[in-house]
Amino acid sequence: MAEYAHPEVLVDTAWVADHLNDPNVRIVESNEDILLYDQGHIPGAIKIDWVSDLNDPVVRDYLDREHFNKLLSAKGIGNDTTVVFYGDKNNWWATYALWVFKLFGHKDARIMNGGRAKWIAEGRDLTKEVPSYPPANYQAPERDDKTIRAFRDQVREHINKSGVALVDVRSPQEYSGERTHMPEYPQEGTLRGGHIPTAVSIPWAQAVKEDSTFKGREDLEALYGGKGVTPNKDVIAYCRIGERSSHTWFVLTYLLGFPQVRNYDGSWTEWGNAVGVPIEKTYQG
Amino acid sequence: MDRQEAIEFLLDHYQNPRNHGQLDQADVTMPGGNPGCGDIVTIYLKVDDAGDHIDHVTFEGAGCTISQAAASILTEMVEGKPLSEVDDMDFNDMIDQLGREVVSTRPRCATLALGTLKAAITQYRTDKLRAELE
Repeated sequence: MAEYAHPEVLVDTAWVADHLNDPNVRIVESNEDILLYDQGHIPGAIKIDWVSDLNDPVVRDYLDREHFNKLLSAKGIGNDTTVVFYGDKNNWWATYALWVFKLFGHKDARIMNGGRAKWIAEGRDLTKEVPSYPPANYQAPERDDKTIRAFRDQVREHINKSGVALVDVRSPQEYSGERTHMPEYPQEGTLRGGHIPTAVSIPWAQAVKEDSTFKGREDLEALYGGKGVTPNKDVIAYCRIGERSSHTWFVLTYLLGFPQVRNYDGSWTEWGNAVGVPIEKTYQG
Repeated sequence: MDRQEAIEFLLDHYQNPRNHGQLDQADVTMPGGNPGCGDIVTIYLKVDDAGDHIDHVTFEGAGCTISQAAASILTEMVEGKPLSEVDDMDFNDMIDQLGREVVSTRPRCATLALGTLKAAITQYRTDKLRAELE
């Protein structure tokens, strides 16, 4: 099997088990289910929550440099700390947290392949004890919103270019426009259903196997290449709020080595609510 | 209820769900869910003979701890209550009941069951009206 383009960003569960007491390594759990950490986590792991820790509480945006420095310093993470993320749902939120760390240029951020599910399936230890670490003095550069992040106007330009690819990683029902939100709560969904014109549908979880580990490189190349998503293209991925697409961003960037991949975190909750933007809808219902 | 008590309360309902399972005599079976994160709840609603109070509510579902615990807690909250009282329940009622400090960052999970129950009640009224017109 061909090796991933950047194999150093993936560690397996055994590696984590061997580094639980390594002061240069911080294990970070990031979940969709906010109560999983409280039910048991990898010994020594800290929790970073995508809502309360990584988002600005008022503006729809990520935390700024000052708050990132404060967060990481409080968690005992320094600029040279190796941060290993893991979490529920095939590392969906772990890759999201890693993507935010990369907006601030954190050097050594990795994913534990298989996530929380694999650690538990292997019968490894869990604890409810919340660790504390000596505070660090993290110094991040200003957040880089240009290299791995895309905004709506850039997507509007993108769909009229050649030599590019746009990947919709949501479910087929969301892509077709059959579903937008749950009953009774339209304010948390979108006003329109469908997808951004030219986008191909490759649901994010197709990149992982049943045991939650990533598929091999050949399988991933076939999955994305089969839909015209190839490394010679400028690629943007999106979903509903940019979390599932961070997983695809991770796969394309680190496992397949694509040189130019951005995550459009505004995603469908922005596009599907915007006035006058083009939408394709294939669902006839 | 402090944060730890709220967590214990939610975990108890998640691990030992009340009113869980199908309800054979249900007037309405209403699926609800969030296509984004995969939380699913199906509400089974039985209304009393007078047509204005909840007789019994059960649920089935899958998903995160908060979404499933909230469904269990909701079924206990509304047992025997007037339908109009459910109409008046909102986001804040659920958040306060579940523990604001713990669930406020997951409003969709916390209110999935309530939204689905409201949809079930709407469906019940529609079915009843249609039956009366026929």
